[in-house]
Amino acid sequence: MIGDQLFFTGINVLLAWSVYLVLMTGSLSFAQGTFMAIGCYAAGVLTVNFGWPLLPATLSGALLSCVVAAVVGWPALRLRGVYLILVTIGITFCGRVLLENVEYIGGVAGFGGMVGASLTSVFIAVGLVGAALFWLSRTPLQRSFDAVREDDRVAASLGINVPVVRLIGFCGGAFIAAVAGSLYGHYMSFVRPESFDILLSVYVVLYVVLGGVNNMWGALLGATVMTLLPEYFRVLAQWRPSVFGLAILLMLLFKPQGLLSFRTLSSRWKKA
Amino acid sequence: MLAGQILNGIVTGAMYALVAIGFSLVIGTLDKLNFAHSEVFMVGGFIAVASVSWLPWQLALIVIFLAGGLLGLATEFIAFRRFQTTEGKVTAALASMALGLIITDLVHKVWGTEPVPLKLDSPWLQTGQTFFGATVLNLQLVILAVAFVLMALLHILLQKTRMGRQIRALAESTVSASLLGIHVRRVTQAVFFLSSALAAVGGLLVALRGGAASSEIGLSFGLKSLAIMAIGGMGDLRGALVGGLLIGVLEALMFQMGLGRLVEMTAWVTLFAVLIFLPNGLFGGGIHAREQRA
Repeated sequence: MIGDQLFFTGINVLLAWSVYLVLMTGSLSFAQGTFMAIGCYAAGVLTVNFGWPLLPATLSGALLSCVVAAVVGWPALRLRGVYLILVTIGITFCGRVLLENVEYIGGVAGFGGMVGASLTSVFIAVGLVGAALFWLSRTPLQRSFDAVREDDRVAASLGINVPVVRLIGFCGGAFIAAVAGSLYGHYMSFVRPESFDILLSVYVVLYVVLGGVNNMWGALLGATVMTLLPEYFRVLAQWRPSVFGLAILLMLLFKPQGLLSFRTLSSRWKKA
Repeated sequence: MLAGQILNGIVTGAMYALVAIGFSLVIGTLDKLNFAHSEVFMVGGFIAVASVSWLPWQLALIVIFLAGGLLGLATEFIAFRRFQTTEGKVTAALASMALGLIITDLVHKVWGTEPVPLKLDSPWLQTGQTFFGATVLNLQLVILAVAFVLMALLHILLQKTRMGRQIRALAESTVSASLLGIHVRRVTQAVFFLSSALAAVGGLLVALRGGAASSEIGLSFGLKSLAIMAIGGMGDLRGALVGGLLIGVLEALMFQMGLGRLVEMTAWVTLFAVLIFLPNGLFGGGIHAREQRA
């Protein structure tokens, strides 16, 4: 039982990090559920129908998800703000319809037979992704991310290719989400298209918002707390959406600039 | 048969337009996305279920309109008033989304997760007339009439009255509007009242046509209207109307062609196409479209 809970916590942490990576470039993605589904189904088909081992199947699924993100994301990432959010919502709805209508992967009935993921594999994935994000935070790429997030016009004037930087964040997020999806599928051993609906994506974004978006530990904290707490408090589980919504509202109210305002050097100067 | 399908599409489209106009009003004046809007729309159907049992339908319509408007005022107070800076844009969207979660959960607690039947014991609504070989139910005509009358009234309000001029001034620039002595908060409240009231009536119409109020439609129908708003062009009411009718008819044609299973994708695929070829939407232009360009 505790193993299950830790497993789902690990999956949610991975998803929260995937949102965080997109958020670092200043855009909000409600499509992580679909990228998770792509990873899950692609890896599942490779392991079940072609007998691949889990690791290469997961990586292939994640790469496929990355490519899909690049193709779908490119037209949208040239735009700002609201359109980008809309396109990611659109990806979620279209992905669901497509999954339900492809007979090869089971359609509405779902796809089963994947085995092999365990608690250990999720911990390894969380460790690797965490290490990669930590390493990223020390590279020049992170500073490009920061510049694009803080002000994309200034970033463009400094010679940063804004759409490409955004695309890197978006594809990286899709990659991490797909890894989470593959592990999820191979642990549950049976998935249906409705496992990946829009609410999943909304919740993951809100985990990150609740935990704080300033650094990768916020996403880790938010996902862990919001996954484990309802397991131990019955009332919380019954009123989950309300409690969750209230928590978000309170967080946002008591940090009037919004949690999305990163504590950067410039904001500290402004305060002084 | 084809004419009947197209008419069905127009009826659906009118309802899409009614909800999309609400999104468009808020995004046009405040440049913020109100995700709670689609849940207010969903609640409209449930208020209808609660009110038609003890009120004549004309009064119920007014009750729903007012209740939706009040929910809109609450939305403004809870999720938007604190987040008025440009940086608050995403924050306000997230806050309204959190509010939407709470509204949905409360509706689930009160009415359950299953659709609740909405019955009007009026045989007149279910009788029909025949135009061009297609049968038209009076119910469909009523839906069309209500939707178009409300949109026409909104148009008159925006173009001919003092409040309408103030709303349009706010859409151009909040700062200039407040310099000209416009009470920005009051006008913002009016915008939220109007948009949410229209959404609640939209919820009533959808529940009437489906014969039941469902808590699912907020995330399906409601978010689709959001896509329609973007297809038409941000903050443009003509765009919302044309986009709504376009998607409604397209969906009906997809059913006619036997692609019923892909129908949920129509609005979103159209959105992708519009964004690639006409990034500002059909009626794009104006200050909000420029703001969205990279």
